[in-house]
Amino acid sequence: MIADRKLAKKGGGWLLERPEGIFTPEDFDDTVREIIKTTRTFVEREYQPVAERLEHGELELNVPLMRKAGEQGLLGIEVPEEYGGLDLSKTISTVVAEELSPTGGFSVTYGAHTSIGTLPLVYFGTPEQKAKYLPKLASGEWIAAYCLTEPGNGSDALAAKTKAVLSEDGKHYVLNGTKMWISNAGFAHLFTVFAKIDGEKFTAFLVERDTPGLSFGAEEKKMGIKASSTRMVILEDVKVPVENVLGTIGKGHQIAFNVLNVGRYKLGAGAIGGAKHALALSAKYAKERVAFGKPIAHFGLIQHKLAEMATRIYAGESATYRTVGLIDEALQGKSGTEAVLAGIEEYAIEASIIKVLGSEVLDYCVDEGVQIHGGYGYSAEYPIERAYRDSRINRIFEGTNEINRLLIPGMLLRRAMKGELPLVDAATRLQKELLEPSFDQPDDLELAQIDNLKKLVLMTSGLAALKYTTKIEEEQEILATAADILIDIYAAESMLLRSRRLGGGVYADMTTLYLYQALDRAQSAALGVLPRLAEGDEMRVMASAVRRLTKHEPTDLVDLRRRIAQKVLEAEGYPQPRA
Amino acid sequence: MKFVAVIRQVPDSESRLKIDAGRVDLSSATLILDQMDEYAVEEVIRLQEKHGGESVIVALGPERFEEAVRTALAMGADRAIHLVQEGYLDPITQAEALAEALRAEAPDVVLTGGQQADWDSQALGPAIAEALGWPVVTWTTALELEDGQARAKHDLDEGAEVVRVSLPAVFTTQQGLNEPRYPTLPGIMKAKKKEIRKIPISAASKVEVLEQSIQERSRLGKVLDGTKDPHAAASELIRLLHEEAKVI
Repeated sequence: MIADRKLAKKGGGWLLERPEGIFTPEDFDDTVREIIKTTRTFVEREYQPVAERLEHGELELNVPLMRKAGEQGLLGIEVPEEYGGLDLSKTISTVVAEELSPTGGFSVTYGAHTSIGTLPLVYFGTPEQKAKYLPKLASGEWIAAYCLTEPGNGSDALAAKTKAVLSEDGKHYVLNGTKMWISNAGFAHLFTVFAKIDGEKFTAFLVERDTPGLSFGAEEKKMGIKASSTRMVILEDVKVPVENVLGTIGKGHQIAFNVLNVGRYKLGAGAIGGAKHALALSAKYAKERVAFGKPIAHFGLIQHKLAEMATRIYAGESATYRTVGLIDEALQGKSGTEAVLAGIEEYAIEASIIKVLGSEVLDYCVDEGVQIHGGYGYSAEYPIERAYRDSRINRIFEGTNEINRLLIPGMLLRRAMKGELPLVDAATRLQKELLEPSFDQPDDLELAQIDNLKKLVLMTSGLAALKYTTKIEEEQEILATAADILIDIYAAESMLLRSRRLGGGVYADMTTLYLYQALDRAQSAALGVLPRLAEGDEMRVMASAVRRLTKHEPTDLVDLRRRIAQKVLEAEGYPQPRA
Repeated sequence: MKFVAVIRQVPDSESRLKIDAGRVDLSSATLILDQMDEYAVEEVIRLQEKHGGESVIVALGPERFEEAVRTALAMGADRAIHLVQEGYLDPITQAEALAEALRAEAPDVVLTGGQQADWDSQALGPAIAEALGWPVVTWTTALELEDGQARAKHDLDEGAEVVRVSLPAVFTTQQGLNEPRYPTLPGIMKAKKKEIRKIPISAASKVEVLEQSIQERSRLGKVLDGTKDPHAAASELIRLLHEEAKVI
């Protein structure tokens, strides 16, 4: 697709070529920092005073809050200037997602509106559609919702049953069907609805709230993100003007999936923001709470948790902004559908990685956060309790982590087959190398360990592809194993390259800790599928290759975690690197 | 008309300061536009919205002040003048240097924070007025312009008074003067294109800081034994709360 660009800058290219440098939060310019401050002030001044009421069911308070967000310019970040927006970078929309994340349910309202609600129009709308709707969405006068999932299908989005039929006069499509779990349904004015024309051609439609035949279910009673509105959307003979078809008829999947790609890396960023919040709450609590005559922050097992939380946040943050930097670079000077293909579809693999990584980092952090709080963590009086409940949905929406795990190696293999990524060559070269291993001590051990993990994943997926060929999709467990190793590679490499720029210290410590565990996990996972992929002598040769490629020396992880924990306690939260 | 806000950048009161070799180490502190100066920025923008003319930011401080200057521009002020000098300058010396720049600008109204958060001093506004030979109203909670004069309300210890003052004049802010806005994203983008005129200066401070320290707060851990004579213990507790802790 982008032939003139370096391999390391292509989506998935990092598996074959190490990048020279990556984008990190330390590259944020004054504008980004100023926007972070404004977003924090928005949370303090506008959200905090109504947070309790929102959380206890006054969902209509989302509407004035969104209007205020619109006044501050927070809804127009990704909307072109000619339609009332600011047309700013993905870095900016990502930092805003991160900063809004501790608001829980409201961040879902915001995300559903700005990402999946607004972006289909930005990327696929006609000039008339954009002129009609985007200024309203950028100001918050109208709120948007995205209707893909149905009661009978979620992960298998294309199995949608909602139907669209052209009216006899050719002026309308008549839509019938039910959409499930629709965020913002309680107050949205504009719905992007996916339906199949004549039960076949998957197509997106722009449906206004007051269209006759559109109705809504009751508010869902959810585990968390209670401040957000989630309802069923029911379409009964809803007449949608033909000019409200969004994008190309029969190509709705292009909209649905690319908008999800954006949703995914933003979800990852939001999760990292939430995880930082959980760590800050936990570090402060650990310093204040006394047990056995000492603040619990003094104890090794509490320090262990704090260090693990910070390390995983550092992993998620480094991977997220590395990707956002790549997307912004690819989007330079592009807009509309072209931008989607060059910048967003290109990095779909990375978006899935960040989604899985971020949501699981967050779940770990809120879980251990509750544990650090002890009994108080189980009480709704303490904010960590809500953080725990709000976290769980992240592993489910924007594509479950299971679906995303299948997509990661799936997309890589597809790009290899299409010749976009020379993975087959690399795997062939690797086979020779594995038969003649070199035992030289590498100059740079940690970089070599990451390179080894890349070889490991090439080796195992190569074997799996040979054995199962087109039936590989049925071997979900093997695909997920590859996905886990790929996620660890991308995270560890991002951490390492960033730590080198930051000059070591706690960042080097966190990288060492993560990489040690990544090698451990990879070894266990690879050995756990190997007997399915090879047998006899071949299996034994491969097993020793796995052990060689995941070799790691004994390391005093206790000392490492204690050092990291000290920095967390000093910072009373995630030790955010200073630019 | 022309309205000037004199601003400073200070450590956020919530950030934890470290002392390194008898000096405050700002490397890990969050630095912000002084919240008392925010009222001044808001007020000059409001005065301009009401009376037209120009709103200008003037700052004196090291290079790093630029971030606070940008924040003020992002709130909506038109342009800025930044007198650049690294290191500490006492308020009187600062006021003299600022007065020179202010005289050249010839504004109608100068506003600055009622108190400077980092020095815990209230000197800057009055010292600027003194150096310019202009009247000053401190702790201003309301300000209106009429016929080339200003009507201002200012806080007293236990009350307030309303004064009329001729312009040009200097006003220092008090909480309640207004509710400062915070930068919008379009405001931030526009501020990038606004002029910040940088003028290097080399003033000699009349005060030199020799050493800085941070007050350590720790509990006294005083326990009164009430088992033998609870009445005496209670009286002693009341005496301590009244005389030493000064809370009752």
